[in-house]
Amino acid sequence: MLLIALLACPLLAAGLAAPGILARASVARAGAALSGLAFLLSIVLAGRVLAGGVVSFGPEEFLRADGLSAVLLLVVTGVGFVALWFGEGGARPPAAGAEGGAEPGRRYHALAGLFLFTMLLAITVNNVGVMWVAIEATTIATAFLIGLHRSKAALEASWKYILIGSVGIALAFVGTVLAYFNFVQRVGGTPYALHWTVLSRVAVLLDPDVTRLAFVFVLVGYGTKAGLAPMHTWLPDAHSEAPAPISAMMSGSLLAVALYAILRFKVVVDACLGTAFTDRMLMLTALLTLAVAALLLTRQANYKRLLAYSSVEHMGLMCLGSALGTAGVIAALLHALSHAAAKSMTILLAGAIRDRYGTTSLASVRGLLRVMPWTGALFAAGILALLGLPPAGLFLSEMLLLRAGFTAGRTWVMGIVLTLLAMIFVAILTHLNRMLYGEPPEGTSRGDQPGRLLPLGLNLAVLIVLGLWIPGPLARLLGRAAEIFAP
Amino acid sequence: MAPALFSRLVTLASSLVLLSGLAVLWRHSLAAYIRTFARQSFLIVLAILLIAAQERDVRLCVVAALVLVLKVVLIPRVLHRVQRHVAADFEIHPYVNTPLSLVITGILTLLSYAVAAPVVSLADLPTRGGIPLALATVFVGLFIIISRRSALSQIIGFLILENGIALLAVLATFGVPLIVELGVFLDVLLGVLVMQVFVYRIRETFDTIDVDRMKDLRH
Repeated sequence: MLLIALLACPLLAAGLAAPGILARASVARAGAALSGLAFLLSIVLAGRVLAGGVVSFGPEEFLRADGLSAVLLLVVTGVGFVALWFGEGGARPPAAGAEGGAEPGRRYHALAGLFLFTMLLAITVNNVGVMWVAIEATTIATAFLIGLHRSKAALEASWKYILIGSVGIALAFVGTVLAYFNFVQRVGGTPYALHWTVLSRVAVLLDPDVTRLAFVFVLVGYGTKAGLAPMHTWLPDAHSEAPAPISAMMSGSLLAVALYAILRFKVVVDACLGTAFTDRMLMLTALLTLAVAALLLTRQANYKRLLAYSSVEHMGLMCLGSALGTAGVIAALLHALSHAAAKSMTILLAGAIRDRYGTTSLASVRGLLRVMPWTGALFAAGILALLGLPPAGLFLSEMLLLRAGFTAGRTWVMGIVLTLLAMIFVAILTHLNRMLYGEPPEGTSRGDQPGRLLPLGLNLAVLIVLGLWIPGPLARLLGRAAEIFAP
Repeated sequence: MAPALFSRLVTLASSLVLLSGLAVLWRHSLAAYIRTFARQSFLIVLAILLIAAQERDVRLCVVAALVLVLKVVLIPRVLHRVQRHVAADFEIHPYVNTPLSLVITGILTLLSYAVAAPVVSLADLPTRGGIPLALATVFVGLFIIISRRSALSQIIGFLILENGIALLAVLATFGVPLIVELGVFLDVLLGVLVMQVFVYRIRETFDTIDVDRMKDLRH
């Protein structure tokens, strides 16, 4: 029941956005309140998972949340809550007025609700086929949200997004079909053959060659959605053109949801082949992703794209962690939590910065600390957290990740990773420095509304707490999630 | 039906599906692309019905009916309307010319035989002969998307890729579970509807549906 209530929250929010039910201002408030409720329900659910292991609903556990799902649920609902609450406090979707016609504000909230729903469904459904349908549906729900501006750039971004996204995800479906085929050939047909619980139970019986092929398709397919190189090309466009709250949800949670799909398949494939194959594939992808991020971050001229490439970087790190055994998985999940907090905060603030300066060009934003002292300071804090500086949560998770790597004997890989991280560090810090100081452009109004930044308190709290220690219940939850990956 | 005959008919239908995907490469009119896609979808309906009859599977008949409504009637109708509205009929010079395209897709077909080898060797199905052809159709769809410049042909490429997957699913597993199948249909339909809206917007904003004109976003 808890799962149903959780899934109902964003759907209800989407329904309330229909014309004639609520006034337009209350639609936004209802959306934020319902996503807050979903966040609370996720915390309750995480508690239940800690107590009982698994929460499920329906025949043959149609909906099912274990430790891994619970961590992802916290990420998705937490980011959704902050993004919609912050977005409601004034920064209306920028192009709302420009579109005219059928009340675009309502459409924005309806699609945002559906977007949240599809992500929640993807991480709570047991059937990997339905999970595919849900992840594909995220592309459809968000395509219009990116194109909200109707500018040439936004149009180009959304076309690339929907085309590359749909093709990528179609390849993931080939992987799903191959897994199903494998099951039916080796074990026999059952209506529950696509249930992850069933698949992972019988994985030892599967044919290794077909399993390997299926994983390649799954990695390319969901890797496209997760922003892993070389399938990341749509990401900087889409993430930088989308309205800030949507961009925050895409960077903070959607990418992690796509990685979650890969991890679910990894468990099945590992049970059949041992971990060596998937670990090697994931590690290669992670290194390539980090290299691409490092190269493109150094030559970036736009701060929203800078944040997008930073998401590529962090997805690379999470991908790397998932290839380093259970300790690596714990680090990767912790990293997903901290990254969600830091990235959604900086993206929301970047939206406010753009509204003030009227540009996303790095060269034109100067003197941020003088123009918007609170926003500027928080933005700087967010970026420093993303760089992995203590006392932010990403410092701790990156340390754990490196330790997992060295313990696993991947000295060379970790050496390359450290070099790339150093390059990224220098690149981003140089850009940040130029934004914060200097003479602001003439005619930029000064002043800040600290009250509006209140929702970001949650992000800050998460970042600081996770930077100092991992609270007991969370540590146990991460342990539960990592258990799934134990050989 | 005798298993040998059934097996041959299925392979024949799969080859025709692949061939109709290739037809896009030498046609130059967008209207012809759409008709080719509708024809290919109809061939898939036939293949599904063939398997349904052999296996006496009512569920597959439902799937065939859905494909018929969705991919033979509804989606082509939507695309024809888009094509008339944006008043574009000829493919803008593709990045790759016809002879080279055919060579590349030939290589892709060989490649899919290599990729599908473990699948074919595992399968004890009478339909296994068509599996590499279905995979080849997926690759041909992918190639069309990469090599064509008009937004509408890219949609066709995506749909051909999608058809290849549908054929693969029915050949290799006699159809995925119905709930997944229904979800896939819903996603394809919504996906095409969203894409067509963007074709209109691209046409409105850029005055052409040549996606090569959209290159503001780099790096």
